[in-house]
Amino acid sequence: MLHRFLIASLLLALTLAPLGPSLAGAPLVVSVWGGNWKNTIERVVAKPYTAKTGIPVEFEVGGTLDRLAKARVAKGAPLVDVTFTTSHVARLYASDGLFEKLDLAKLPSSNDLAKEAFRSDHAIGGWAYVYTIAYRPDLVKTPITKWADLWRPDLKGKIAMPDFDPSHIITISALLEGGNEKTWEKGQERLRQLKPSIAAFFSTDARSQDLMKTGEAPVEVMLSINAFHLRDQGLSITIVEPKDKPGILGIDVAAVMAGGQKTKNAYEFVNLLLSKDVQEQLAAGFKAGPTNTKAVVPASLKGQPGVFSSPAEWKERGYIIDDETRATLLPKWKEWFNANIVAR
Amino acid sequence: MLFATALGALFRLSVLEFVPGSLRTGGATAANFRAVLAPQYLRAIGETALLSAATTILTLLASYPVAYALARARSGRVRSLLLGLTLAPFFTGAIVRTYAWMLVLGNSFVTWPVRLLFEPSGVLVGLVHFSMPTMILILAAALAHVEPALERAAASLGARPARVFWRVTLPLSMPGVVSGSLIVFAWTFSAFATPELLGGGRVKMIANVVKDLALDSFNWPGSAAFAIVALAVTLALVAGLGRLLAPREAS
Repeated sequence: MLHRFLIASLLLALTLAPLGPSLAGAPLVVSVWGGNWKNTIERVVAKPYTAKTGIPVEFEVGGTLDRLAKARVAKGAPLVDVTFTTSHVARLYASDGLFEKLDLAKLPSSNDLAKEAFRSDHAIGGWAYVYTIAYRPDLVKTPITKWADLWRPDLKGKIAMPDFDPSHIITISALLEGGNEKTWEKGQERLRQLKPSIAAFFSTDARSQDLMKTGEAPVEVMLSINAFHLRDQGLSITIVEPKDKPGILGIDVAAVMAGGQKTKNAYEFVNLLLSKDVQEQLAAGFKAGPTNTKAVVPASLKGQPGVFSSPAEWKERGYIIDDETRATLLPKWKEWFNANIVAR
Repeated sequence: MLFATALGALFRLSVLEFVPGSLRTGGATAANFRAVLAPQYLRAIGETALLSAATTILTLLASYPVAYALARARSGRVRSLLLGLTLAPFFTGAIVRTYAWMLVLGNSFVTWPVRLLFEPSGVLVGLVHFSMPTMILILAAALAHVEPALERAAASLGARPARVFWRVTLPLSMPGVVSGSLIVFAWTFSAFATPELLGGGRVKMIANVVKDLALDSFNWPGSAAFAIVALAVTLALVAGLGRLLAPREAS
């Protein structure tokens, strides 16, 4: 009887053996923004990951909140293994149990991260940037050097800003009036005065870049990485390090999806992302601040807006909006912004 | 059945409490409906109704002559050419067409005396262009059923061309006018891509507000409540428009 059982077990094992390698060879699916974001992650992280592990990487691309909506619908059986998103939206994912609680023991590279990179128990910072002012010097003759310049009369009808997330300009207006994101009402009146200067609002990075390229809005409250990307494409663009208040710092995070089939592989991918070498390539590729404090920023990028080369610079040259406050107040900010600034 | 299930899910979501900073919903509440009756949301419904009405009227005015020519052209080549030109926009996606309008209405190639891009006027141009092929086809089908002998009879009795048009052609083509107008009005009411791109975020129609609430604020309950209110308004307006035009059709 035992003999038969052993033979049957052996046959079963031989039958299922081919499934082992095929499961291991299944692609790791990474959710990220499209365009420059996906291309850079693919080149800098995915290719070395595949070379190291033999596991191919596939991408699901889309906007921040489109991907959140998809993840919510696929809860329990996620279609992706690793998700890149913004730090405050990561809180929404985590609130619905979509992200795995991170086990830092599986992320040895995290030992070298700046403390600001630890955004929550569920998501870890991959790179930093700022939302700042970018403009076309061929269409704006008087240089812009500070946030308060946005209110200049000569910029009437020339500015574009994001409407999907107005937290940057709301916070800046509050800071200029002596408040902060928690006392954002202080900046309301100032922000209302900016209304005639706004030519358009954008809801995607692509639209933001189109508006700048066509000159429809030659001044933008813009994500520094996108501004550098436009400059790399040959567009003459000035990226401002504002003198009165710092740019609004953003940290994009990576997280492992809860309930995924390839959690171990996902951790390996995130760990590679956080490693010194990859962080240096990300800093050079995105022109962003690495979260790994051991990563060396190229000399040509040091001091550029959004490129932080030491932990101290995170606070000196960028303003970090509290993630919890931002995630909680965003619907309220958005409603007020739509009613008072977007509405004609 | 599927539609009823989806509508039921939408209604269920609309009466659940929105929890800011979270994807979870709370208990049952009517607060979402109270919130979406705020002036800014009612303004979006009003602007949508106005833009839809203007689009319907302008599309009708622009399409009727083309449809008439299409229906009455004696030359097969002319008819084919008109039909080809009418159908051409269908071969490019709505997004491609809208991006093309962005280039035309912006200041990249033409310097317009008044700003068109990111204004309701620009959105109106895009919506009319988007709606014209459908309206032309519906009107041409209706006009093809108008017996030319009736127009000739009116003319032979001394009626001038304008009178022939007002007293014979137009009344007999009213079925096409009514159905074309209803279709254009209803689908303009749910327009999304055209106002999103040509409006530059400054022109908010109902679908844009639904998207804002759902995907930007992540207020799904509020978005569901607004969608239900908007659906009710749309049905009421389409029914009203149908009744308004129906007696003319009968006469």
